[in-house]
Amino acid sequence: MSPRVEFTLLRLWHAALAGGFVVAYVTADEDTYAMHVFSGYWVLCALTLRLALALIGSSSGPLRLPRPKFTWAKPGRNPLFAWMAALLLPALALGALTGVIADGVPVAEDLHEAIAEAGLWLVIAHGLIIAWIFQGRRIREFLTGAAALLAVGLISLPAWAADPAIAAAYGKEAGETLSAARGEALYLSKNTASADFASCSTCHTPDPRAAGRHAKTGRVIEPMAASANAKRFTDAAKVEERFTRDCQTVLGRACTAREKGDYLTFLMMK
Amino acid sequence: MMKKLALLLCLVASPALADFAPPITDPLTKAACGECHMAFQPAFLPARSWDKMMANLADHFGDNATLAPDKAAHIRKVLAESAADGPQGGRMGHKILSRLRADETPLRITETAAFLRKHRLPESEWKRPDVVTKSNCVACHKTAEKGIYEDD
Repeated sequence: MSPRVEFTLLRLWHAALAGGFVVAYVTADEDTYAMHVFSGYWVLCALTLRLALALIGSSSGPLRLPRPKFTWAKPGRNPLFAWMAALLLPALALGALTGVIADGVPVAEDLHEAIAEAGLWLVIAHGLIIAWIFQGRRIREFLTGAAALLAVGLISLPAWAADPAIAAAYGKEAGETLSAARGEALYLSKNTASADFASCSTCHTPDPRAAGRHAKTGRVIEPMAASANAKRFTDAAKVEERFTRDCQTVLGRACTAREKGDYLTFLMMK
Repeated sequence: MMKKLALLLCLVASPALADFAPPITDPLTKAACGECHMAFQPAFLPARSWDKMMANLADHFGDNATLAPDKAAHIRKVLAESAADGPQGGRMGHKILSRLRADETPLRITETAAFLRKHRLPESEWKRPDVVTKSNCVACHKTAEKGIYEDD
């Protein structure tokens, strides 16, 4: 066989193997399981075919599977090629075989996943090495170009603003003038209803402009103050929902309309 | 060469799907569940667990998480859809179910056998100040909100 034909065969085989692996990797989820199994067997067939190709290839041609060496007999091939084949082919074969096993014995799933994951990193390393060997300079140019692209662009955010009408509605319901000072006192007050949540400031911190942290779940809480968080107090239903829950939790009772109005006034002015 | 690199980038960017649970897409459910804690992926519990939880929001692990009844009913439906045994439970649901007894109705994901099996960690890890609680997935799994639990 002429080297030209051998190279063509090698490329076709490589495309079949790489394609099979990529499809198997991205269809690993349960809802694409049939495709995953199919592409897994595809990979297995491609690997078997590679051994057959090595047998029919000429003794010094590209289809040969040489024993990897640490020395580079120039002007021969870079020894990295042999090393990559020696690592990748068994790794992918192991991945495919454990996949066949995992199909029948679910316990083998984790092993299969781990090998497939390692295989992906080998493939990425393989791609990078090949790219570097053949296209080193152009890669460096590409990378600087990509970095420049990343540096461009700001995403515009939708505009939000706290709605004073929400506080005013509570004031009207209470029939009293609202007071930010009373709201602040409520915010900072220490209570006994709950051991976990003694005060609003337990989670929201004493400064409502700062981001807080849920005392039990550890979830980060965006700032309470309207000045620090434009999404606050824009939805009356949401505000009422939070009062319903948190007054009960922290104070052990429902809040009055005046308290709610005071509280909002404080946080909208803060 | 560009095509090769693009393919490579696709590979790197594609989420590793092995430890993946489909995240909640319904906006109302995502907002309601995600307010105080991460909106846990429904596939981590069977529908019977979600039903039990949604039936008692006034005492939600000791906290009041009451929702308007119509909201709660909607969320219940969404959760059942993607629950471990729901039609959208996916592979993670399958894994959770396979280690769950039929008479078990766990309310805490962190107490399911599937969770425990993957989290045999030294006590010191759980005691890290940024962890706070076992249910704080994102303390270790940075991409947990997207349903990707590959990393640690």
